[in-house]
Amino acid sequence: MVLQVNQKFQHQFQVDDRVYNGFISVFGDKNALHTDEAFAREKGFPSKVMHGNILNGFLSFFIGELLPMEEVMILSQHINFKNPVFLNDILNFEAVVEEQSEAVQVNTFKFKFFNSENKTVAAGRIQIKELT
Amino acid sequence: MNRDEILAKLTTIFHDELDNDEIVLHFETTADDIEEWDSLSHIQLIVAVEKAFKVRFTSSEIQSWNNVGEMIDCILSK
Repeated sequence: MVLQVNQKFQHQFQVDDRVYNGFISVFGDKNALHTDEAFAREKGFPSKVMHGNILNGFLSFFIGELLPMEEVMILSQHINFKNPVFLNDILNFEAVVEEQSEAVQVNTFKFKFFNSENKTVAAGRIQIKELT
Repeated sequence: MNRDEILAKLTTIFHDELDNDEIVLHFETTADDIEEWDSLSHIQLIVAVEKAFKVRFTSSEIQSWNNVGEMIDCILSK
């Protein structure tokens, strides 16, 4: 297998205007929590909350672009959202190979996104198959 | 664990992984008998079985299985 148990990957993502507007433009989720500053404040947030599923896009980038092999596919992913993400937040991403199955060439990563205050904003597991 | 106990535990795993609580496993059951048991779900089943029974299979072992009974025999041999 290309990867090894405990192998660690790190990357930094920014939820900038391009990502935020691109997500809305493609998927059309204009829910007030994500687009209306006043509404978000009324609900107790300092500003509009970014779509949690933007982070799933970052996971896609991690698997498709950051791993040391191209022949790979996602089998499953589970994500728990723990803290809100706001526009222009810089997110540090960390993923570690937690388990492997040699028989079916599957790697399970444990991953975490944390913000510049070192607060975990999301965490979960993603399972991929090496297609070699 | 004996074969019947492993079959019962495997049934729970199949229910969870294939998202169908109506699946009834027998020793003779094959992938052809279960609609949800396709090539991708097979991979996830193997990973789940390895985790549940704390065993590791080789690719030649899983390719040699013709039915659930042979999977169970392989688990018992570990």
